[in-house]
Amino acid sequence: MIFLGLFRESILFAINALVVNKLRTFLSLLGITIGIFAIITVFTIVDSLEQNLRKSVQSLGDDVVFVQKWPWTFGPDYPWWKYMNRPVPDYTELDDILRKCDGAESAAFVINANITVKYKSSSIENVSIICASHQYNRVKNFEIDEGRYFTEIESSAGRPVAIIGDVIAKALFPYHSPIGQMIKVNGSKVMVIGVFKKEGESILGGSSDTQVLVPIQYARSLIDIRSDNLDPEIMVRAKKGISNDDLIDELTGLMRSIRKLHPKADDNFALNQTSLISNQFDSLFNMVGIAGWIIGGFSILVGGFGIANIMFVSVKERTNIIGIQKSLGAKNYFILLQFIFESIFLSLLGGIFGLLIVYVITLTAGDTFGMEISLSRSNIILGFTISILIGLVSGFVPAYGASQLDPVEAIRAS
Amino acid sequence: MAVVVRKRPVLITIVCIIGFIWIVFSLPAVFSPSIKKLGDWYPALFGMIVASSFISYIGVWNMKRWGCSLFIITFFIKEIMFVLINDISYPGIIVSVFFITSLMAYFKGMDLNL
Repeated sequence: MIFLGLFRESILFAINALVVNKLRTFLSLLGITIGIFAIITVFTIVDSLEQNLRKSVQSLGDDVVFVQKWPWTFGPDYPWWKYMNRPVPDYTELDDILRKCDGAESAAFVINANITVKYKSSSIENVSIICASHQYNRVKNFEIDEGRYFTEIESSAGRPVAIIGDVIAKALFPYHSPIGQMIKVNGSKVMVIGVFKKEGESILGGSSDTQVLVPIQYARSLIDIRSDNLDPEIMVRAKKGISNDDLIDELTGLMRSIRKLHPKADDNFALNQTSLISNQFDSLFNMVGIAGWIIGGFSILVGGFGIANIMFVSVKERTNIIGIQKSLGAKNYFILLQFIFESIFLSLLGGIFGLLIVYVITLTAGDTFGMEISLSRSNIILGFTISILIGLVSGFVPAYGASQLDPVEAIRAS
Repeated sequence: MAVVVRKRPVLITIVCIIGFIWIVFSLPAVFSPSIKKLGDWYPALFGMIVASSFISYIGVWNMKRWGCSLFIITFFIKEIMFVLINDISYPGIIVSVFFITSLMAYFKGMDLNL
């Protein structure tokens, strides 16, 4: 009960200090506000980018291995001239993988190109067309919002059917359902049989919202699927319980045998996995996080000095009140807690302002940057923690000094 | 009311100065990305440990018994946290035990009041 009374009294003192010395308090709190704002903004941006990246990587499939010509990462001694002469993955290699690879749950041959899509007088240029074999829906994570996926016959016979992204569907068919409608892909008529569920912007690019998916056998009539420029790839998903490393080991042996490589010859293919991308981004995010931590740390430090300063002034101004309180029987801890609570309250107030600014920024920045930016629970907790900690640490010394004052000397002080 | 002023031994002064330096370096660690990654509440817990360490050093600096008691309690809470996150530092434990031993040696001569 006494703590509640103390708490209430301290808050009243703090509010009084705020009201009486508005400018002084505002300038002192500004340090904490800027510090909390700097740290939490950086952490929020890093967390949001990381979250978006993980989402993008997950949509690519974290248990999928990509058989390609080029590796996704390379060091400074990267022998690109050797890789130039590598053959691109071939559609026939997919059959061998599906037949012989024990660790593969499913696999799909995929190529990506840019085309123009038309419907009546509307057209969209540079649309990403994904030409994939039938098991694409088993290696790539996506959902169909309307319509259906290709049937086995449609895929193998190369029927002119397509699944389009949400953005394309809304652009070409703003007033009615696209299902069953004929669109023109590079001048060739294709029936829309499905629409991808809206995914949103992807940090790695390649969001299904702006893609058109057609069977690879149909794509043969539109483009040269063996072209080097289309960067064909074979996506292989591991069976449950099989790790990516095991799958890569098996695929390495299999691809070498398929391509009849000499035992001493280097691999002429790259086996990529999504962890390669996320690992690269992890180090970048760590660097940004540390930079924000250092910048924000200094701001917080300055803010802490500001709070300590205001508390020393507060103790000096109220010395005779402290003396009266002590002479009326107030214990040392009562005076100590009174000033500590006041200091924490002031610091917390600065922190709340900082968090509010970050929150407002997250509301507006999300639309500007085209990605979801949110103030996470952990960052809110961190903001409050830092505020309370700074209030406690910077307010303790003045508060302890006040609690140790001699009542007679304190009353005499003017 | 007479204020009790006790002379601070050199060893306690050295322990406190080392402690204050440790606080200066630990304070930014509270909101470091590495602590944050451990969990939502770890920065808060670690912050509480750093703050109570700081308060305990001020108590010890002023030759108060509550400073020693708070230091020992904080030490155990800190070590339990380090065990939970599997980050036990044996040199850290040795230094802390040395500090506690030093404080205990002068405990009787310290002030009982706040």
